[in-house]
Amino acid sequence: MKQILAILFLGAGWHMGQAQSTAAVPVSPGDLTGTWVAIINEDWRYRMLVPAKGDFAGVPLNEAGRKVAGQWDAAAASSSASSSGDKCAAYGAAALLRMPTRLRISQESENILKLETDAGLQTRRLLFNKTPPSGPRTLQGHSVAEWQRGGVLKVVTNHLSGGLLRRNGVAYSENAVVTEYFDRFRSASNTDWFVVTTIVDDPAYLSQPFITSTQFRKEANAEHWRPEACDAR
Amino acid sequence: MRRAIIILVLLRICAGAQDLAGRWQPRFHEDSAERIGLLGPPAWGDISKGAKSPNEGPELGDYAGLPLNDAGRLKAESWDASILTLPEHQCKPHPATYAFRGPNDLRIAPQTDAATQRVIAFVLTGTYLGRPRTIWMDGRAHPPEAAAHTWSGFSTGTWEGSKLKVLTTHLKAGWLRRNGVAHSDQVILTEYFARYDDVLTAVTIIDDPIYLAEPLVRSVNWVLHPVQSPPPSTAVNPSLCGPAQIVEEIAGRDRGYVPHQLPGKNEFLKEYPLRSGIPAEALRGGAETMLPEYRFQLQELVKLKAAQKDQ
Repeated sequence: MKQILAILFLGAGWHMGQAQSTAAVPVSPGDLTGTWVAIINEDWRYRMLVPAKGDFAGVPLNEAGRKVAGQWDAAAASSSASSSGDKCAAYGAAALLRMPTRLRISQESENILKLETDAGLQTRRLLFNKTPPSGPRTLQGHSVAEWQRGGVLKVVTNHLSGGLLRRNGVAYSENAVVTEYFDRFRSASNTDWFVVTTIVDDPAYLSQPFITSTQFRKEANAEHWRPEACDAR
Repeated sequence: MRRAIIILVLLRICAGAQDLAGRWQPRFHEDSAERIGLLGPPAWGDISKGAKSPNEGPELGDYAGLPLNDAGRLKAESWDASILTLPEHQCKPHPATYAFRGPNDLRIAPQTDAATQRVIAFVLTGTYLGRPRTIWMDGRAHPPEAAAHTWSGFSTGTWEGSKLKVLTTHLKAGWLRRNGVAHSDQVILTEYFARYDDVLTAVTIIDDPIYLAEPLVRSVNWVLHPVQSPPPSTAVNPSLCGPAQIVEEIAGRDRGYVPHQLPGKNEFLKEYPLRSGIPAEALRGGAETMLPEYRFQLQELVKLKAAQKDQ
């Protein structure tokens, strides 16, 4: 038995490149709670402004996706007559975290992590009890979450109503599946961050999964929280 | 004993699922026009009205979203693309601070000590014209401050949970964006590599006390792609870019001339704001342009410009 334990011990070090003097402390569930701010230094012009029609550089649209994006009407989208649904389409789960926003993440109950944004005033609920989706499809869909090794939070979202990947009509369909990995890290100045790697899989409009990664920095308080409804403008 | 060996083998198989080693293909779904300039039609203008794509890398004077300080902005505005025609600049590889944003596949290979089979390093191969970059995993110290600075710098790694944290020092002065946005040779690069199923994400934190007001934090993604091969390196094959390829690109120039723009005299900086409609103030960058609330200021600037245009 001692032999077995010794071999297992050695093996555990061997397989991870020894994990050397690793500080391999798994992040426990709940460590994402707090107020976070999106730092926008990638895709700045797509995230801070409404891009021009036809500008879908970087998004792997297939022919159907291009067709839908080509039908976008900038004037109609910005019109006051435009429906709330149309104005809020860019705030769906597939693109919400790409918006210039702050996030408030809190533990709503033992099995639910609540994620709120001030941009667009959206709420997503990340469910840890693997309940199946029910009711109509929604902008935020149905999200099932699980903690993985190393404190990574994996979230898979489906049952979406469809929406926009970019505010210039680049769309995803209701059959899209969004997989996200939330992972914390710390900068040299001891500031807490997380990166969320987002994979949008939509055979209807995309020729390959659309992969982005977005950084959020932790804030000491909610001083800069500035709620604005998605249909406010 | 046999049971122990079986368990050990199973343990290794399970652990391999988190392994960073392998061949990785980049995804350019973010900043694609700036990084590779190939995917998709126009980055500005209405395609239906005949707008053409300028997708040939970053625009001159576009520093939006970068936390430049005044010195960093002055440095960027003084840059002249013609500097790349100088013989000594023609074969520069991307520095480690920029290399992953370039167009090449990546291979990560563990290097083991023959006697102990411990992983002592990871070697990263495949960046543009770059030499293989070594991340030392054996706990060695970084060299003294006066040691040589290189394009890859000196990198050491440690595991933090399932992520590989890499610290890189001793880098040459390099670039953050291919339009003159620079970092100094005092830059410190911190990276986190994490594998999420078949996706690899690397977060890069660039800390430069000379040209940045605060660290620049960004990330890149790859997908597992076992059958690709990274391109050859100039370290192995100097004929890719070496003395035989370097030519005098602009004849008749004075010996020692360094292409540059004088402060306040760079007329090229006026082009992109005019074409794109993005206010020049926003394009000058700065830490405030990275924050969500800047969009409100931006909206006001856009309205102001439109009103001025109407008058």
